[in-house]
Amino acid sequence: MIERSLKPANRPAVVVAMVLFSVAAVTYWDASRMTARATYGMDANAAAYFICLFLAVLGIGHLFAAFQALPIEAEDADWKAIGWIAVALSGLIGSIWLGAGFTLGSALLFAFTARAFGRKALIVDLVIGIVMGLVVFLLFNKLLSLALPQGPFERLF
Amino acid sequence: MDAINLLIEGFSLAIQPANLIFAAIGVFIGTAVGVLPGIGPALTVALLLPVTFKLDPGGSIIMFAGIYYGGMYGGSTTAILLNTPGESAAVVTALEGNKMARSGRGGPALATAAIGSFVAALVATFALAFLAPPLVKVAVKFAPWDYFGLMLIAFVTVSATFGSSPLRGLTSLAFGLWLGLMGLDQLTGQARLTFGVPQLLDGVEVTTLAVGLFAIGEALHVASRHLYKPEKPIPVKGSIWMTGEDWSRSWKAWLRGTVVGFPIGALPAGGAEIPTFLSYTMEKKLSRKPEEFGSGAIEGVAGPEAANNASAAGTLVPLLTLGLPTSATAAVMLAGFQQYNIQPGPLLFTQHADLVWGLVASLFIANVMLLVLNLPLVGLWVKLLRIPLPWLYGGILVFASMGTIAANPSVVELLLLSAFGVVGFLMRRYDYPVAPAVVGLILGPLADNALRRSVQMSLGDPMVFLEHPSSAIMIAVATIALIAPFVFKGLSRFQQDED
Amino acid sequence: MRQFLRTALCLAALAGTAFFPGASAASDLELTITAPAGAGGGWDSAARSLQEAMMATGEAKSVQVVNVPGAGGTVGLAQFVGSAKGAADQLLVAGITLVGASISNNSPVDLTQVTPLARLTGDPLVVVVPRDSPIKSIDDLLATIKKDVATTIWVGGSAGGADHILAALITKSAGADPSKINYVAYSGGGEALAAMLGGQATAGVSGYGEWEGQIKSGDLRALAISYPEPIEGVEAKPLKAQGLDIELVNWRGIFAPPGVEGADLDALKAAVDNTVKSQQWKDIVKARGWTDYYAPSDEFKGFIASETERVRAILTSIGLAQ
Repeated sequence: MIERSLKPANRPAVVVAMVLFSVAAVTYWDASRMTARATYGMDANAAAYFICLFLAVLGIGHLFAAFQALPIEAEDADWKAIGWIAVALSGLIGSIWLGAGFTLGSALLFAFTARAFGRKALIVDLVIGIVMGLVVFLLFNKLLSLALPQGPFERLF
Repeated sequence: MDAINLLIEGFSLAIQPANLIFAAIGVFIGTAVGVLPGIGPALTVALLLPVTFKLDPGGSIIMFAGIYYGGMYGGSTTAILLNTPGESAAVVTALEGNKMARSGRGGPALATAAIGSFVAALVATFALAFLAPPLVKVAVKFAPWDYFGLMLIAFVTVSATFGSSPLRGLTSLAFGLWLGLMGLDQLTGQARLTFGVPQLLDGVEVTTLAVGLFAIGEALHVASRHLYKPEKPIPVKGSIWMTGEDWSRSWKAWLRGTVVGFPIGALPAGGAEIPTFLSYTMEKKLSRKPEEFGSGAIEGVAGPEAANNASAAGTLVPLLTLGLPTSATAAVMLAGFQQYNIQPGPLLFTQHADLVWGLVASLFIANVMLLVLNLPLVGLWVKLLRIPLPWLYGGILVFASMGTIAANPSVVELLLLSAFGVVGFLMRRYDYPVAPAVVGLILGPLADNALRRSVQMSLGDPMVFLEHPSSAIMIAVATIALIAPFVFKGLSRFQQDED
Repeated sequence: MRQFLRTALCLAALAGTAFFPGASAASDLELTITAPAGAGGGWDSAARSLQEAMMATGEAKSVQVVNVPGAGGTVGLAQFVGSAKGAADQLLVAGITLVGASISNNSPVDLTQVTPLARLTGDPLVVVVPRDSPIKSIDDLLATIKKDVATTIWVGGSAGGADHILAALITKSAGADPSKINYVAYSGGGEALAAMLGGQATAGVSGYGEWEGQIKSGDLRALAISYPEPIEGVEAKPLKAQGLDIELVNWRGIFAPPGVEGADLDALKAAVDNTVKSQQWKDIVKARGWTDYYAPSDEFKGFIASETERVRAILTSIGLAQ
């Protein structure tokens, strides 16, 4: 095979191929460990092996694409904005995880997402988020009697 | 005809002021909740069940009917305007609908969805009233091998959602299929790809994937480009109403969508999603302007929306005639019937005829109310896009995660949601279509179960698929649909060589 | 539009208050009931019915229901055992499915680790055959199984659930090897019903209530119910009355966390027992079509232990547990 240098723009295709191969490997490993057997017909791991094969074929397809086809183009991304949304989501997950309640979580999610889109008024957005979260919380807990996660703040109501 | 008299009696029940109010409340709540991403009609009906316990059976069931139809309507609104389908059946609507909204045609897109839903629900409710008993006899004959044939047809049609590159489309589909493996296998109880995490044993919720890929993925994608290329508020060009051309392109799509949606909805394991895929493919093939697909073709909104609503009416066929709930919402409605000691089933039409026909009549009324409520709202919904982006996306993320938390308040579920958001962002960035992943997650387990149930019943004999004419025909159709394009391409190349 | 909205909100609020009547607060218990399933399911409606009855009778000042769905209830159970230990204001609703799920999922926690308060309801399962089936009685079915266990196709709910267990018990008492049973699992009684009516199965198992309509209309022939006694309004006779020593009921009960003892435990037991004996609870059980299967705390405790052993044995014999 002729050695061809990989253009930087083709790297995503190679990365996707690697991801596909590793997912296929994990699936194969998982399927090979399955113990439950169907008494009649096919076992539960038949579909797993099939998908494993499918993923591997797609991985090979991506490798070919990386050397031959047009590069997959991607524009520059604003990683700071992505970072703020990551903070926003972690804020929500963290406050559910630590038992700080739904309202605080939604407020953090709302305010940091707004920050990602360039708003600087964090305090105002936090207040909006708290009001919004609280209205939703009260609607669910009091009217629909579906318990959303509660923290110290929600227990006041 | 006897049925007509009964229907007129039904209208006299449904038209009572109190019942009209219940229908109106149901329609309003259903639309409001359907608009929120991640909260489907099933959860709404479940939560309102105890509230309606104090109403009389007629009133509460009429209210549920309103919520059901309303939820189906509402799901499309955010799909079109924000590329954030409220539920899995609206995923296909987002494909063309959002493209239309981006080019300033959000008004016509919403209008064709609303009127298409109305037409479909109207026709399908008629079909429900007059065809339910014979239709259900056919529907229960649908055996696992027939479902497998239907799944194969559905898989072949998925390629319509692939966009520019089959490789990337298939990869997205494979991702969905892979996620579909996760959880306990229904037939053997084997855990697949759960890595010892008990929360994964129930598998991946379709809503979690759809909301993650669409709502959160879209928010990340827009945020990543916002400061480089600020997206201007989308201009609403021309009229927010449909033009003559829009009408002439829509009406056939509505009817075709209805024809696809109702019978599949009536199948005990048909669901609302598969008809939307089928309708989308069909419209793409039949359109006079197939080149517009992918950049905002109105048929691509009209057909699937009609199919979605027609299948909602179809779902009521097995529910009322067999007591067989085929969707989460129908399951909750069944619980609603039971709390009044009414057992849907073969005897419902004779024992509680007044109630059945009252329900059918109130479906008609709910349908009219929905149109009256939704058409004026089109203008208002379009204005939703004028909310400053930071607040708009902040709000979307709050409501999207609220839906997940309300259904299952677990950190694992939220982590999954966020992970799907990241995947959705990367897929958008590198031009992978996201819809096939959702399709894969829906179809994969269905096909897997249908296949293995078939061979279990035949004691391992694969001929079971060909021995039954119905499944053999469907498998043949799927095979032809898969191979024909290649053959035609080959033939035309061959002819060119000859020339 | 605005007028309409206001009317809607008012009505919704009215309905809301109607649901929480201002009962005379004889008790100052403030309870939280965990339903280890999503909103709308069986355990959820049991928890919400108990909530309604406890507040209507005044046995508790306030009751809240929390849904923790996942893995047949084992996620909710694990969370309950872990975080509610010793808390005298926490309750859990659970049933036979959770016994099976703990075993087949190899869950580190099971129902023997929580404190049983009372067994509440027990819904009978029913064994049916299609209308046109040559099988007319339970003995015919046993003979068919004995002749060829592989071609006797059973349909019912999920693998390892109560339906599957009953099918295995019947196969075993027919003298066939339960590990050879051809049981096709569906997501629930509804989907399995379609397979029954479509004539793809030999026999089916489901909750009696789920198939009642088809049984009464004659589309399905009920051979037996799994409840130990005959039930009023149910024509099919118990398996026990037909010579098979099988009793299997889809029971639901209420539990307190581990480590709740002494006066705290007595107060909870008293509140639950009084509620279950009230007219309000009886009305709810009737309205929901449930069958009363009450047993007090001590009896329920022994029942959990024996049920766990029995389910483990049968799941092992059909290869779903080690």
